[in-house]
Amino acid sequence: MKTAMTKLFRIRELPVFLALVIVVLITGTANPEFFTLSGFQDITLGVAVVATLAVAQTLVIVMKHIDLSVGSTIGFSAYLIGDASSQGHGFWYCMGLALALGLAVGAANGFMVAYLQLPSLVVTLGTLYIVRGIFNEVAGGNTITEDMVPGPINFIGLNTFFGIPYLFIVAVVLMLIVGFIMKRIRSARDLYAIGSNLLAAELGGIPVARRVFLAFLATGAVSGLAGAVLLARFNTAAANSGNGLELSVVAACVVGGVAIAGGVGTVYGAVIGAILLQAITMALGALGIPQFWQLAVNGTLLIAAISLDRYLSTRVKPTSIMGAK
Amino acid sequence: MKKKYTFGWDQGVAIFLLMTVVIGSFVSEYFANFDNISFVIQDIAEIAIIALAMTYLIIAGEIDLSVASILCLSSATLGFLFRNGAPFEMAILGGLLVGLLCGLINGFLVTVVGLPSLAVTIGTLALFRGLCYALLGNEPVNELPEEWIVLGYENIPGTFLPWSTIPLAILAAIAWIVLHYTRIGRWTFAIGINPEAAKFSGIPVARMKLGLFAVTGLMSGVAGVVYTLRFASASPDGAVGYELSVIAAVLFGGVAIAGGVGTLWGVLAAVLSLGAIRSVLQLIDFSANALLVVSGALLLISVVVPKAIEIYQSRRNSAFVTKI
Amino acid sequence: MVANQSPILEMRNARKAFGGVQALNGADLTLYAGEIHALLGENGAGKSTLLKALAGVHKIDSGTITLNGKPFEQGSTRLAREQGIAVIYQEPSLFPDLTLAENVFVGRQLQSGFTVNWKAMEDEANKLFAQLGVKLDATSSARGLSIADQQIVEIAKALSTKATVIVMDEPTAALSSKEVDRLFQVARNLASQNCAVVFVSHRLDEVFALCSRITVMRDGATVGTELTKDMNESKVIQLMVGREVSELYPKLEAKIGDVVLKVESLGLAGQFTDISFEVRAGEIVGLAGLVGSGRSEIVRAIFGVDKYDKGSVTLNGKKLKPGNPSAQMVSGVALVPEDRRQQGLFMSSSINRNSAVTMLKRLSKLFIIREKSEAKLAKSWGETLSLKYATGFDPVERLSGGNQQKVVLAKWLATEPKLLIVDEPTRGIDVGTKAEVHRLLSKKAQDGVAIVIVSSELPEVMGMADRILVMREGRMVGQFDRSAATPEKIIAVATGASTS
Repeated sequence: MKTAMTKLFRIRELPVFLALVIVVLITGTANPEFFTLSGFQDITLGVAVVATLAVAQTLVIVMKHIDLSVGSTIGFSAYLIGDASSQGHGFWYCMGLALALGLAVGAANGFMVAYLQLPSLVVTLGTLYIVRGIFNEVAGGNTITEDMVPGPINFIGLNTFFGIPYLFIVAVVLMLIVGFIMKRIRSARDLYAIGSNLLAAELGGIPVARRVFLAFLATGAVSGLAGAVLLARFNTAAANSGNGLELSVVAACVVGGVAIAGGVGTVYGAVIGAILLQAITMALGALGIPQFWQLAVNGTLLIAAISLDRYLSTRVKPTSIMGAK
Repeated sequence: MKKKYTFGWDQGVAIFLLMTVVIGSFVSEYFANFDNISFVIQDIAEIAIIALAMTYLIIAGEIDLSVASILCLSSATLGFLFRNGAPFEMAILGGLLVGLLCGLINGFLVTVVGLPSLAVTIGTLALFRGLCYALLGNEPVNELPEEWIVLGYENIPGTFLPWSTIPLAILAAIAWIVLHYTRIGRWTFAIGINPEAAKFSGIPVARMKLGLFAVTGLMSGVAGVVYTLRFASASPDGAVGYELSVIAAVLFGGVAIAGGVGTLWGVLAAVLSLGAIRSVLQLIDFSANALLVVSGALLLISVVVPKAIEIYQSRRNSAFVTKI
Repeated sequence: MVANQSPILEMRNARKAFGGVQALNGADLTLYAGEIHALLGENGAGKSTLLKALAGVHKIDSGTITLNGKPFEQGSTRLAREQGIAVIYQEPSLFPDLTLAENVFVGRQLQSGFTVNWKAMEDEANKLFAQLGVKLDATSSARGLSIADQQIVEIAKALSTKATVIVMDEPTAALSSKEVDRLFQVARNLASQNCAVVFVSHRLDEVFALCSRITVMRDGATVGTELTKDMNESKVIQLMVGREVSELYPKLEAKIGDVVLKVESLGLAGQFTDISFEVRAGEIVGLAGLVGSGRSEIVRAIFGVDKYDKGSVTLNGKKLKPGNPSAQMVSGVALVPEDRRQQGLFMSSSINRNSAVTMLKRLSKLFIIREKSEAKLAKSWGETLSLKYATGFDPVERLSGGNQQKVVLAKWLATEPKLLIVDEPTRGIDVGTKAEVHRLLSKKAQDGVAIVIVSSELPEVMGMADRILVMREGRMVGQFDRSAATPEKIIAVATGASTS
């Protein structure tokens, strides 16, 4: 029993989960409507997009990289889906287009980071703006309206399954799948090794470049496909779609225990982190705090999460070279 | 970083600038006249001012993504103070102080708390811009004193240069001399090349980095004041994406992202190139979106090309020397 | 181990050069299953290059390496491991965020079907630890693990890859005596499982306690391979050094003046405690001891790079504040650090810049520094130190190790320090330059500088120092005057062996 308890406390995701519980309780006490079904649906709907992207971003952050282009990719993809659909193309065609976009961006990022060994910050910052620029040019002033949204996507966006919004289920299913892969598939374990000690990973015979490339490719693909999620959520898309999402996604991951320093964290934590951020947003709303404080709050939370992480990691007494880092 | 190609890179940027100017003059008759030059300088003045400080920061091995938000917060502070009755000069001072303060916050988080500058400044990017909204709500401050606004769009009497040239030129001169000819500059390079050896050489690394972040914040504040005067308005959503242009200019100007290498005149040439390209694009009626793509592309080019050269060179020297 | 067994590993006449330096110049090594074989040699003798060749990091230029009767495929660490050679380095590199089990099986996690079987992996890892006679929990994280435990994990990893040759490179340097005992048990355990264990160490007492055969290297070649029982310490030392000790260390007599440095009860948790000593002007004080005894940490704390938490440092009567290297520099303290590449030099920067980096304030006129003044300073010191270089604008990475060290010395001597601390001043340097450096230090002492020399090379300390302080595990355990010091006495105190 004792070892089970100590194991429980060692779970990295515990603090963020507890934080979520606390925030939910506080908000619910201040505003009892929070605890109703519609309150639950509000949160789960609101978090779907960020949660989906956070799952993909986890792959990249555990390797000690970052992908800032996700916001541009998802926005562009949402627009493309709506646009193609309005021109009469079928659902699978639209999704194929979205996937192609995501793969293209992911491949470009992956190639530059993995094979040219360029810093992922700079590379994805560059692709962020290139994709957005192309997106804005293609979209112009157009807006995708509800009638242009493909049927299946519309359906998922509006309906629930025993009260749980389908959108949320999509995010959860993705989380479960990726979570399983990260824990149980050998080549996915390499991502953690790469983030934990790159040199040892290289010397240990892990095909680092290939793994990094594939991780960025996967992130790109998910961001592309997630355009459908974005479209389903808002039933609209325009040139500013997805703007700034990358910040929320990174914040969700870090808050959820996926350390910027790499090597640790799970998609479960990332999703909990996303839910926590969403809950705080709604809490602020419930407490009557104006919308625009939200950006400041997100930023502060990110800094707080990083600081806490750093504090916890330096508390391990450095009797060896490793602990001292 | 081989000294050989870096030396060539700076010259490359200068050549690029020349080429852009030449092509621009061919492409549009409106390009190479004084009015346009004045316009270009105004266009890139804020970016240039911030780039001066960002150069030091990146050479020292750090980065600050929050500069655009600091610019905006300084501008918002200026507007806020003025709207609430402060004399304009005090409002300007307030804006500059806020910029300095933001820089100190960044510096504190990096040097004292020990957080990685990339992650931290993503956070402060949001925090500072969020504070802009907190200060101004959704209403920009549009009623600014006429005698100040004039500085925002007029030229220095008798010349074709806008007023913003003065702070830009002075700061650029100081930045250039300090970086290449003073102890502070040498220390900046040393910290970027090898922070551990810098410590062992008696260089106060933490204090220097704190100072560099603070100066970056202050320069962003100066840029904020210039920005406010240029647009005759202080608003919470100004300068979005400027950090990209600043970083793109600095990297394109030959400063290595890993730190330790770079020249100030390379950065200035890069900033002017950026301005020239923007001007050309606007004159041939390319939309503003093209600019985003170009900035992003320049950023990527400035890291891909050096790396490609490095890979090519190391392939050629196949008998590579292993360190014992 | 039977004499007419065929060897597991045979290296013959290996040669390897890097740039202009001949690192291996006819190295031989023969290993049999079940033996623990010591590899000895001074710094720069070629041990590390030999090990890297076995580890697959380098390919030798000529000579043969045979493993289990077949030619050894060189040049790839992965291949080396697959062929059964495992190297445990002094500072193992584990993945701090992964569990011990995953560290052992990284890249080859145990599977059931297509998915990782965590339980099986943890059980197997625990089994390996038990096999090695060690208590470690395979499910715990590798972060914060002591170096001794990290080594065990690496050894477990080697076992799990069915390694037949396990090389331990200076494994005991950072270990406590209890951990050393445990490591010896593990080594004997491995030998009994028919592995060949190579034990590289400077600690002769350990070598004689553990190993059955000894190979000594000098100047890149193997100069002797003998059974341990046929050898004694002085024979080994003679093979290692190969020349008269006194030739190398030209000590000049210097006038001893007032106390310059006074260290009182200095302590830093986890590193050293209760260190007190004095150094006078013109005096050379040597800090001897095994690697990991805390000597570098002490001098780093005196210089200010690390912050001590107890005690005080006084220079010429003035108390120095802890943790402020720039202030110490101004007061007249200089530290030539242990690792010249990482700590002493800016490798991509020019000779001029490196030489002048400590003198920038004095070189600036009205805040401006001209390249010319840096070049002038570099040139004058280059001449004083007989530096061999092409032009002052060359990056220091092009210089040889000895010349690089001269640049580090130049940069500190230029500050005209009152206290000069040198940490491993001649590590990895050719003999000729070594003598020059020693002559220089002697001369500085004559000029009235107080000098502290930290060195793992006993002959160097004994040759240069007026007084020798011996450290062990963070404490000062002995003090010898130059006249009274002998290698046996010093080593005895440094290793904690009982003195007769």
